[in-house]
Parts: sequence; structure tokens; C-alpha cells
Amino acid sequence: MPKRFVTTKVEIEGREETKIVELPARNPDPWGEDADLHVVGQRVVRMDALEKVTGEARYTADVHLQGMLFAAILRAPVPRGRVTSLDLAPALALDGVRAGISIADVPDVKIDGVRLFDQTIFYANQPLAAICADSLETAQRALEAITLEIAREPHAVTAEQALADNAPAVRPSGNTHKGSPRVSSRGDVEAGIAEADAVITREYRTPTALHTALEPHGAVAEWSGGRLTIYESTQGIFMTRREVAKAFGLPLTDVRVIKNYMGGGFGAKNGAPHSTYIAAALAKITGRPVSCILDREGEQTDAGNRCATIQRVTIGAKRDGTLTAISVDVTISLGIGGWLSSPARIYHELYQCANVRSAETFVYTNTGAMASFRAPGNVEGSFGLERAMDTLARELNLDPLELRRRNYATRDQDRDRVYSDKRLDECYRLGAERFGWTQARSRTRAHDTGARLRRGVGMSSIVWSAGGGPPAYATVRINRDGTIEVLSGAQDLGTGARTVLAQIAAEVLGAKISDVRTVLGDTERLPFASNSWGSITTASVGPAVRVAAEEARDALFDAAAEMLGTEPTDLESRDSEIHAKSNDKCILFSEVCNKLGDVMISGHGSRGPNPEGTAISAFGAQFAEVEVDGETGQVRVLRIVSAHDSGRIINPTLAESQLEGGIIQGLGYALFEERVMDDRLGITLNSTMHDYKIPMIGDIPPIDAFFVDGADVIANHTGAKGLAEPPIIGVAGAIGNAVADALGADVLEIPLTPRRVRAL
Amino acid sequence: MRLSVNGASYHITAPAHETLLETLRERLQLTGTKLVCGRGECGACTVLLDGKSVYACLTLSAACDGRDITTIEGIKGDDALHPMQAAFIEHDALQCGFCTPGQILAAIALVRQNPDPTEDDVRRGMSGNLCRCGAYPKIIRAVMAAAQAGKAPDA
Repeated sequence: MPKRFVTTKVEIEGREETKIVELPARNPDPWGEDADLHVVGQRVVRMDALEKVTGEARYTADVHLQGMLFAAILRAPVPRGRVTSLDLAPALALDGVRAGISIADVPDVKIDGVRLFDQTIFYANQPLAAICADSLETAQRALEAITLEIAREPHAVTAEQALADNAPAVRPSGNTHKGSPRVSSRGDVEAGIAEADAVITREYRTPTALHTALEPHGAVAEWSGGRLTIYESTQGIFMTRREVAKAFGLPLTDVRVIKNYMGGGFGAKNGAPHSTYIAAALAKITGRPVSCILDREGEQTDAGNRCATIQRVTIGAKRDGTLTAISVDVTISLGIGGWLSSPARIYHELYQCANVRSAETFVYTNTGAMASFRAPGNVEGSFGLERAMDTLARELNLDPLELRRRNYATRDQDRDRVYSDKRLDECYRLGAERFGWTQARSRTRAHDTGARLRRGVGMSSIVWSAGGGPPAYATVRINRDGTIEVLSGAQDLGTGARTVLAQIAAEVLGAKISDVRTVLGDTERLPFASNSWGSITTASVGPAVRVAAEEARDALFDAAAEMLGTEPTDLESRDSEIHAKSNDKCILFSEVCNKLGDVMISGHGSRGPNPEGTAISAFGAQFAEVEVDGETGQVRVLRIVSAHDSGRIINPTLAESQLEGGIIQGLGYALFEERVMDDRLGITLNSTMHDYKIPMIGDIPPIDAFFVDGADVIANHTGAKGLAEPPIIGVAGAIGNAVADALGADVLEIPLTPRRVRAL
Repeated sequence: MRLSVNGASYHITAPAHETLLETLRERLQLTGTKLVCGRGECGACTVLLDGKSVYACLTLSAACDGRDITTIEGIKGDDALHPMQAAFIEHDALQCGFCTPGQILAAIALVRQNPDPTEDDVRRGMSGNLCRCGAYPKIIRAVMAAAQAGKAPDA
């Protein structure tokens, strides 16, 4: 018997894990570039658009259960100190208040290393207690009645403060993560510098950026018969279930997590946050459903962020542009906790260079913890690397695009392995052509440097691991009226996963797309799929859906063959109709299934392992033109061209929507987005959406975002790779380079606010 | 007070400080209108008050006594979507969908006021509605298309 379980490596957001996974029951031939496909690749309308435009889509904050109470969270007013006295009694005495909880009333659970309701304060807005009441307003007012006394202690909210000689202890374990500095190197950087004709050294800075999903983190919890049901705005229903079950000491069968619609995640909604435990604990005490939805300030200060970085870069090259050495020291501000996303990795991978060295120091500060944020690490690293490459190009008097082409990496040098497929050269070619790169450069070269309004152009490249991987499961079920359900415990964050998975099933079955419905987001009813993170859902779950649909199709064809008096191999299907080639008889899916009555036609599929020793990555090239007002410092992005290689595109419309969305978030990161702390008070100064500016409709230039043709048949048998994260990666670099080009100045720090631009 | 919401009349007794957003979401269970910032910064709670777009989070219910309110739940016809809803679907002018009800109502108010908007008019008219997924390019396309098709709103 062939082996059923194998050990394989799975990569998510740059983190590689070894896993034992089940081999799928079948391994279909890949859909190659010239595969004859009818539903995959079509611009099918987004499946859940109807309920979204009618207001019928129920998000977690819209869930309203009979007898439901509303929770509000008491948060620490200072960044560091101790609770010396906390008395909920005055709040509990108020009309309409039903319960209050503090540290003694909740499971001993740690979130980003801090115990829920810890009496030691590690950052401002850390949760200290919670109240639930008949209305949200009553709960919020009750917070003001709580007696809270604290002893304030000195704090460190920036990396510089935390690394200073006499810095206060941010965490008991110290102010840097124990793995710091994380050093990685290949070749001999000193030798590489020595042989360089040009060497540049710069220090780049990137800000703390906030996800600012419009729907905040939140949960509605309800207990019944000792079992807990949670409605959660989450990218990972199964991860949330596991964490909640562990905290409350429940078997997995006693926790059900449901996520139907969610108002954005962008990486910040993986696993159970404070609000989930608080809702569950209050619901248990009161015996009533409890809704705990973060308010905007809570969302902006205590629900994740992109780490601020300082990148000290030295880069050397021969006169012809050949890179000889790259060295980077990065300081990364984690906040109070989080994981070690790597800004350095892109320095090791994007451009061909034999000698590369990086050292990353991860610093804890008395601020809210970081969380994955769309291409964590790469976005930050890309800005420094791409600015350094441009500075080098200027030094060598080379076209910046030409410099990048001359250092084209054909292998994944970081992990010394081949790429399954790489079409970055095609992205360069088509991107430059559609942007008119050469002409635009000569235009900006010729401009009057004394003018008030000056234009510049810049570009950047993208690489991001986007292969997905196991485990992921799907079931495809055909009902007696011939309609089809695709079932998988994945999540659709607004990405279009529902639609894309339905298209794959429809393709395999030869079904009308309108007959297919995808059901996601329920741990009790659906087979496992992992978190929807790391651009993995299509490449992970898609192949499982294909296998499941093949199994269902085979069963359907077996039954149809019996009815048509022929062999299953004689059958083909299109638009939910089966046709026998030999006798030209036809039968509709609905007819087959209706005749079968309640005989169940279904198929089950799983995702097999990725090829050994192979990097599966998405690539891209981004081009930006800006106009800078030298007097006001205002930067206006005039246009962006973005060319992408993500293998086969299952649905171009939805994919382009994601590209545009990623580019727009990148534009915000380049120009506006920056959490501002009062270093002295240790609190966030811009936790509202007015003060933390995200891109608005008026900021959006014409965007030409597209995919180069291709299907990555090595990656998986659908040929598709991830595409959600790549489009944000190079935007700040391209815009930074364009501003530098416009002003003939060095751009070292983002966001490029008018104040910073005027100082250039 | 008496509120007319999507053509239905409601007699409501509410505190003077209750916002229209609270009344709609909590009393009437019309949850298509979203709470995001609660202070007039994002537009997710946009509704029509006597045909004009307002932020429900900055509007006191008491000030709506006797007035007509239209929410996202009230713009669809008996058989068909409102043309603006149809345009948002056709142009994929949404991703997560959380800002979408507010965007659509703002767009309806905009096109009603200016049936033949330029792209700049759309950018200006829609500038009070944030979208974090970045559906803006397609929102512009959807609003322009709905306006140009002469399918001007009639909410």
C-alpha cells in the first residue's frame, strides 16, 4: 500500500514549519497554461456581493441574540505600572449592569505574552477588567464608576527608549526578544565590499502602521448545555476554537466558532483576541449571550500593528551594477509581543548577490503588540532595499530598472532552492512598457529643478512566498435538485475565496457556476482549512476542492452512465448537463440526482504536499509617478502601474480588486500612515480615523494593475499562487524612489508627510 | 417621536442623546448601517435623511422626528436591486463589504444631486466614505456607470 502520511514543509508569511500531512486520494494532472477551462479564469461575479450591497450580510457586530448583553473593556490609562486597587462594585451597583470580571474571573490565558487582565501594566490600553450590561451605553458608562488606582512606573515606547542604558524593563525577560540579534549570512560581505566599485550606506526608517479594518475585532459568545458558540470576526476559525477550548478546558467538540462575513482582517485577526475570552467569560457568568466588540480606540491601540523598523543598509556593486555585498542591521519594534516577521529576508532573496548578511534585533516596547499585517516584514524591508538600490543606481549612473535586471535572481538564494516558476522578467517588461518607463524617465530627467511642482518616477520589485500548502480539506456535495455545495472551513475576508472555490468546483464538475454555493467559516459543520493568512487560501484549499469535485463527478458520472446505458468514460459535462458521446444522449445533473432521490453524491478532497526543495513565490514589478509640491511638501501620486506573476488567475476581476486594494494600502503606508506616540506620556496620539489617515477616494491615482499570463504547474495542480499580499510590498519603495527622483534628494523615511518632504 | 424609516412609521421613545445610528441598529435591528468610528470620520453609517446623505452617528434621533429616513435595507425595489446596488455588483466595487451600505447611500445622494457627475465630482462627493480594502477605483467606476446609464437613483 502506498504511504498515506508524509512529512513536508509548509511556509506561511516567511515562516517554515515541518508538518506530517495526508496524501490526497488522487493527484490530478495540473491544469497547464493551455488547459481548456471554461469557468476557471472567468470574471464570475463575486458570490456574496448581493448580501453585501443590500445590507443583509450579518457581520459579527450585527449578530443580535435573544437576551444578549453588551460588554465594555476597562483599559489601562498608562503605559507601565501596577494596579494597586480595582473595585468593580460601584459599577455593578448601577441599573442595567449584569456582571463584571477582572483577573480572578477569567482563565489564565496569555495574549502576546501578557496575561488577560494582568495587574501589571505593560502598555497603555491594556485590558484590566470588563463589564457587561443591557446596553452598550450602560456598559460604557459603568466603566467610569469602577474605582481604579494605579502606581505609574517609567516606560519605553520606542526602540530607542527601550534600548537605552537605563531603560525600564519592558518585559521581565528583558527588552529584546531572546533570539536577538537574529543573524543570517551567506558568502563574505567584507570581501564583497572590498571588491565593490561603489558602496553606499544609509539608514532607513519605517513607521508603526495600523491595520484599521473597518470592522473591529469582536465576538459574540453563547453557552448552551456546557457548550460554547462563538461568532467571531476572524481569519482563523479553527485556531480560535483551539485557543478558546484550551483556555476554558473544553474538548473541541464543545466549542463552535462561526465566521460568516467579516469587515477586513489584513493579518490582525488570527486566533482569539481579548474580546473573545471576555465575551465567553461574561456569557458563562450571566448565562446570557454576550457581545464584546472593540471600540475604535481599542482597535487602533490594542489589536495589532505593523512593526516600526530602523534599517542600516550597506550595499556594494561593480561599475556594471553587479551586486557584490548587501549588509543590513534592522531594529524592529514589536510592541509588547508578537512574532518575529523578517524585514531582512527580502534583502537575502530579491536580488542576485553572493554576499549577504543581516542582523535583526527585535525590541519590546510598552505599546500594543504587533500582528501580521499584509506581507509582514517584506513591506518594511522592501522600502529600505529598494531605496538603497535606487541610490546605488544613481551612484552608478544606471537606469534603476536596468540595475535590477542585471541582478536578476534565478534561484531562491536565501534557502538555496529553485523557484517553481518565476516570471518577474515578464513583469518588468510589461510593466515598463505600460508605464512608459524609459520615456517617463527622460521626461523627469529634463525637468526644471527650480520649479515648484516637480515630477519623478520610481519602481520596485516584489517577491513573496505564495504557495500555500497542506493541510486543507474540502467536501463537494450534490443535492437532489442538482445544486452543488462546496464545504470548507476556510474564511472569506472579502478576498473572494467563496467565488474562487466555487469556480474550481464548477470547472471540474462541468456545472453552471450559478448552481454552486460555497459554505465557509463554521468549525462544527465543515472540514478543516487553516487560517486565511499568508495569501494561502486559493493555493491551499483550491486543490482540495478540485480533488473533492473530481470524486463527486466520478460518482455522478457512474450514476448517469447507469441511466444512459453507457460507460462513465463515455460521458462529458458542461453547464450542469451530462452528455454521452457514443449515443448522444443527454441528462441534466438535476435529473440524475432527482432519480437517485436521497442517494448522496459527494466527494472529499485534501491538499497534498508541496514539491521538495522548491520555493513557490509570487513576483511583481511596480512603477509610480509622483508630483511633489516643493513649497507645501505635498506628494501627489499621479499613476501606478503594477505587473504581477501569481500563476493562474482563477477570477481576474476579483484578483485585480485585490491588487488595487493592496496598492492603495501601500500608498497609505508610503504617504500618510503612522501611529504617533507621545513619548513622554506613552500613549497613542492618533487613535481615531481622523488622526490616523488611511487613503481616501481623492488620494487614488489611476492604477493599472494586471497579471502576466501563466500557470505554475509545479506549485499545485490548479496552477494558482497567492496574490493578496504581494501588491502592497513594493509601493512605498516605488513612491519613495519617485519622490527622490522628483526632488533629487535622498528619501530615508516614510510616511512622506508634507513635513518630511519639505525637510528634504 | 415618530420616524419614517424605509417607508414604515415607528413611534419611538428614546433619550434625547440617542443617535440615529443607535436607533436604527439597536431598536429597529436595521444592521446594514454600520458603526465604525462613531464620530463622523468614516461614512460607514451614511443614511438618507429626507433624501440627503447624513452620518447616522452624528445625527440625533430626536432631530429626525417626522422626517423620512432611508437605509440600505430600503433602497431595493420589489423585484430588482436599486441601479446603484446593481452597479456596485457589476463593477466589483466592494471587497469585505463593511463600508458598502454607506458608500451606496452616499453615491445615491450624490447622483441625485448631480445626475451627470465627472470623475472629480464623484471623488469629491464620495470623499466622506472610507474603504480600507481599497475598492475606490471600482467604486468610482460603479458610480459613474450608474449615473451615466441614466439610472439615476430614486430612493
